[in-house]
Amino acid sequence: MQTVSESKHTWSLRDVIFLAIIAIFFGVIYQLWSFAYYAIAATPLKPYANDLTIGVWLMAGPLAGVLLKRIGATVIAEILAAAVEMMLFSSWGAANLIAGFVQGIGNELGFAMTGYKNWSKLGLLLSSIMATIVTFGWDWFQSGYSAYHFGMIVTLFIIRFISIGFFAGILVYWISQLVAKTNLLKH
Amino acid sequence: MSKQLNASILVIIMIGVGLQLTFAKSVILNIIITWIGLGYLIYCRVSFKMLATMLLVAFPLSLGTWWSFVAFGVADVWHNAWIYSTRLYAYLCLGAAVTLTVNVKQLLLSLSQHLHLSATFAYGLLAAFNLSPRVRRQVKTIRYAAQLRGVTYHLWQPQLYFKSVLAALQWSGDLAEAMTSHGFSEGFSRSTTYHDDLPKWQWGLAILCILTFGIVAFIIKPW
Repeated sequence: MQTVSESKHTWSLRDVIFLAIIAIFFGVIYQLWSFAYYAIAATPLKPYANDLTIGVWLMAGPLAGVLLKRIGATVIAEILAAAVEMMLFSSWGAANLIAGFVQGIGNELGFAMTGYKNWSKLGLLLSSIMATIVTFGWDWFQSGYSAYHFGMIVTLFIIRFISIGFFAGILVYWISQLVAKTNLLKH
Repeated sequence: MSKQLNASILVIIMIGVGLQLTFAKSVILNIIITWIGLGYLIYCRVSFKMLATMLLVAFPLSLGTWWSFVAFGVADVWHNAWIYSTRLYAYLCLGAAVTLTVNVKQLLLSLSQHLHLSATFAYGLLAAFNLSPRVRRQVKTIRYAAQLRGVTYHLWQPQLYFKSVLAALQWSGDLAEAMTSHGFSEGFSRSTTYHDDLPKWQWGLAILCILTFGIVAFIIKPW
């Protein structure tokens, strides 16, 4: 029997494939970014490189969220993008997948705080704030941020928020506006 | 290669040990995990050239991490520097134990058979992964097409991402339609023609690895 699921609650094949292709696109685009990252990361400024570019690595999740407007889309897209990046051979290995999950949860929390009703400016703002807090908390343990001096921790936090706010917030908003103009999404 | 671990088991070990690794502050454990990972990769006959490249590529990151703690750390500088620079290698080898020994197809089919990943996800993801080379080409095409018109798409502008979304929308529609017309039904049970072997002892091994790591990392606490 042939069936095509149209329900909003289950994932349709088309949505899954869409999510995965977006993730692969981002996996490829991340590689373009990683050259810039590498240049600073080999110096003691590595934590700054991390926090300056972190927003880029978070984009896939919120973008999938605002395009599909669906519970879980953000986390799943972020995990997939991380998995793709891991498969394409990155120098973070397993940390990739776990970081992807943590980042996705952070972003998803923001949308959850609006009751999954606001997928526009407010949702993206909350998503950026939550992602900054959650990923910073994670790096506190994973990358040992607790061992740096206080001034540096504050600076890193601010840089991180600006990076996430721009890439995973403003830039994602611009992209979604362009997509909305095409009328290709019927959600 | 029947003596290899099942993909699902590798993923469980990778996540189970990987999560604990974040909170374990031990240089010795990091080095042990790195060596076990490398040992498994050599056992699975991953080429030495590949392993050497992998270790070399991660070196700048590890050095940067080490250096940043020496430069900006407040307490216990040397210990921290070694913990976080070796941890990077432990994660690298944990990940490589999965990505360099199983392919995407084995991984997805194993996850769907043993860990209840739904068929829609397993086959949908597989279909999308097969498009990877095309995605690469598309990113190049988008950038070249813009350059022909004298425009450069910078990574902080929305255009490149926007055009990628358009391609993804079109391809996902086409691919889903193609799969449906080839008889893929969503939400229905499938008959499986392949057999993915997962002996019981491998589950035991996964539990043993994760528990042992936890006990050593949080009770014994080596340096």
